Amino acid sequence: MTLLAATTVPVSWSAIAPEIVLLSCACVLLALAIFLPDRLAHPASAVVAVGGLAGAMVAPIVQWNDPARYAFDHTVRIDAFGNGARLLIFAAGIFAVLLAWGVPRVEEHAVEYHALLLTACAGMSLLSVSNSLMILFIALELFSIALYVLVAIDVDALPGLEGALKYLIIGSVGAAFLLYGSALVYGATGQIEFDRVAQAVAHGDPHSGVLLLGIALVIVGLGFKANAAPFHMWTPDAYEGAPTPVTAFMSAATKTVALVVTMRVLVAAFGEDSAIWQTGIAALAIASFVIGNLAALRQSNVKRMLAYSTVGHTGFLFTAVAAHSELGTRALLYYLTIYGIMNIGAFALVEVREREIGRPVLIDDFRGYAYRRPELAIAMIVFMLSLAGLPPAAGFIGKLAIWSAAVAAGQTYLAIAGVIATVVALAYYLKIPLAMFDREVVVPDAPRRPELAATSGTVVAAAIAVLVLGIFPGPLFDLATTASRSLMG
Amino acid sequence: MTTALIVLPFVAALLVGFLPLSRVATEGLALLATVAEVVLVAAAIVRFHVGHGTQFVTNDLWISNLVNGADVRFHVGMDGLSLFMVGLTAVAVASAVWSAINARRDHARVYLSLLLLLQAALVVLFTARDLVLFYVGWEVMMIALFVLMGVWGGAARRLATMQFIIYSLIGSLLMLVAIATLGVEGGSFDLATLISQGRDSTWLFLAFAAAFCIKAPMFPLHGWLPSAYRQSTPEVTALLSGVISKAGAYGLIRFAVPLFPATAYDWRWVFLGLGLAGLLYASLVAFRQPDARGVVAYSSIGQMNLIVIGIFSLAAGGRFSSNGLSGAEFQMVNHGIVSLAAFLLIGLVELRTGTDALASLGGLANRRPVLSTVLLIAALYALAVPGSSVFVSEIYILIGAFAENALLGSAAAIAIVLAAMYMLRWYSALAHGDDGPSVPPGMPDLRARELALAVPLVLILLAMSAWPFGVMERIG
Repeated sequence: MTLLAATTVPVSWSAIAPEIVLLSCACVLLALAIFLPDRLAHPASAVVAVGGLAGAMVAPIVQWNDPARYAFDHTVRIDAFGNGARLLIFAAGIFAVLLAWGVPRVEEHAVEYHALLLTACAGMSLLSVSNSLMILFIALELFSIALYVLVAIDVDALPGLEGALKYLIIGSVGAAFLLYGSALVYGATGQIEFDRVAQAVAHGDPHSGVLLLGIALVIVGLGFKANAAPFHMWTPDAYEGAPTPVTAFMSAATKTVALVVTMRVLVAAFGEDSAIWQTGIAALAIASFVIGNLAALRQSNVKRMLAYSTVGHTGFLFTAVAAHSELGTRALLYYLTIYGIMNIGAFALVEVREREIGRPVLIDDFRGYAYRRPELAIAMIVFMLSLAGLPPAAGFIGKLAIWSAAVAAGQTYLAIAGVIATVVALAYYLKIPLAMFDREVVVPDAPRRPELAATSGTVVAAAIAVLVLGIFPGPLFDLATTASRSLMG
Repeated sequence: MTTALIVLPFVAALLVGFLPLSRVATEGLALLATVAEVVLVAAAIVRFHVGHGTQFVTNDLWISNLVNGADVRFHVGMDGLSLFMVGLTAVAVASAVWSAINARRDHARVYLSLLLLLQAALVVLFTARDLVLFYVGWEVMMIALFVLMGVWGGAARRLATMQFIIYSLIGSLLMLVAIATLGVEGGSFDLATLISQGRDSTWLFLAFAAAFCIKAPMFPLHGWLPSAYRQSTPEVTALLSGVISKAGAYGLIRFAVPLFPATAYDWRWVFLGLGLAGLLYASLVAFRQPDARGVVAYSSIGQMNLIVIGIFSLAAGGRFSSNGLSGAEFQMVNHGIVSLAAFLLIGLVELRTGTDALASLGGLANRRPVLSTVLLIAALYALAVPGSSVFVSEIYILIGAFAENALLGSAAAIAIVLAAMYMLRWYSALAHGDDGPSVPPGMPDLRARELALAVPLVLILLAMSAWPFGVMERIG
């Protein structure tokens, strides 16, 4: 199929139902903005956004057990793998709405915030099911542009602007890499749909220089979005500068979609060259382990620390990708799910504290916190232990699954690298619990603010989910198995 | 039965931690739970059938098909060794809770709840017959200890805690990779299944052994121990030395050696040599320690290395030698109770004097007959006076070592003489002479509630000395 052939393609509404729902809701919101009084702007737009996201979940759930199918002439592939990613993204979107409730920085731009959030979700959703380098690029830009604006939604806050500018510039460089790589792949194979690229590679020369360079550039381009070192430079500034609900959303949803699309493009298009890209992904994983964890050690700002921790976690997620197996894909999906939950929970807690003290949160701001808000402190311990991969939190089962996949793929060295990374990571993850239980500091007893109920409720719910998914991982594993078979099968 | 032993402390931990009770009610609840646990274990010891292998088994599916068809199962049960390790845990945690109540630790709800959580984790790891389940117990134990050490304790506790955690985690995460490898290769996490497959892998063996030898600790992996034992509260130090160190030895006996018998046999001289070096080194260092905790801490290192010698006195093919192993297992129980008692007694001295520096103590025997008698009993047991249960277990270990190599046995025997020297110095510095500068005038003897702590431990030691075979035949 050449790029410019003017053929008519059958339309499959069900394939892109979530995107249609989300973008329509975004348009409705923007139209409403004209009529709504300021007082109603936030509640009304939050309701529309949650409704849209919940509505978008219908199609992926209904289609969950359907066999994988292509639509729009192989430019998208609807399978459980992509639908699973969509569900994770929409769930993260709903939490982003909840966490934004009552945030002053969002309050002033409530309608825009929710419209942009829905647009970002639509882009990510399309990216999760994209099966062509062109759709991949368009979807990636759609959600990226929405996120650039979301990071700087409070135009009066300098850190937000700085973060957004860095994100924009570095993100554009990443997009350029991706586009250039796609062009080279098209040049080498004459195809842009993943499955057709794979066929062309199989019939042609899988080791042609142009093709390999193209694959490398595609990986680099996606590495920017996945916070993989050394392409992570935007991460700490964007995470720190963005309003915390946006940070939480980015850490959960952007990570999910970046990893899912990396896995899909590598498996579906370049399965023939897997020996080569497995090594490349493994190298990026190790770089992420080293840079992310060492940099996180030195942070005193909690959001920056968590930002570097997400860079370190890309190492684990790439370990699962590098395994290039059903086991690895399943581990990836399980880990992405719990990773999203723990990050949303942790950032929600930062949000609570941020609003209690009215400034960015440092680790020292948590000193003695456990004796005032024990439920939140215990939740934070659960998140930190889970991020570090200790039982009984879900992160443990996730790490066990990822390391098993690495060992089964003959990449024990990645598991060993992960061990070292985890030990370093503990040194900074444990700072927060230690500070929280500091008995020598008495935290002034600020009055509980009712508008924070949704946020602190999210923290507690996320902690319970992390424990439950760690103790009973079976059902989630079954879902992840279905999804990984739909990609690898 | 085994499940009840796990569930009881776990539920109690939740209740103590989350019920908004008064201080007295919280303490009462925690104490009641630990005493109930002791009673349950006693019932298990009575109902235990000697020679019938693993008993009180529960085996349910937990996670199906984690990797390559390997299920994770909630598989727990007790053979003799597990039974007595659980018994040691029950006694130790009950004593620790009682002594924490006496010492009036601040934030008692959290503290007691963590002690109970630690107990639940210990029972899981001592009874698990599934590698992943064991690992869960192992790490939850570490999490509870992390908070207990990092939040309560001496001024330099942060550093001590981080050292402890980093040492432990390096070992245990390597073990997790090894467990993952076993699951992938063997298609199972069940201990018996994996043992029956018969494996021989240097790396996997060393990964397991590293985790256990750090916890024990075996020389030269003991770097974390002195500061951890000095900075923690007496209860936590007593648990570290009395029970948690035994978890390391237990792991060697239960997992590292049986899973890789041939490898263990090939490597036995590394462990025997390091064990001997550690035994002699720690015994000499113990003699030079300026504080009461330091002496008992290094004596613990020495004793654990002696236990490692007993374990690795292997017969050809990696089968345990019956003398060395039963000596080591009995010594685990003995040393558990003795070091528990020693550290809790030091805690009582610290409560009265505010220090454990030997130079500022002394004269505790003046007008304090009960305290000095109990200290003397602890010292005599620690130096393995003939007639004591510790003497019995050390003799068995030495017989095992002699069977392995006469030189090894002779060298290990020297260390037992050293033990007599440092323990007598310890007792003498605490109890003899005039009152030390830090001993307040008219310092009281043990009170009734403190006697309630010491007397049961002494009775247990006397009972085991009177009838060592009663323990040894059950341990197997």
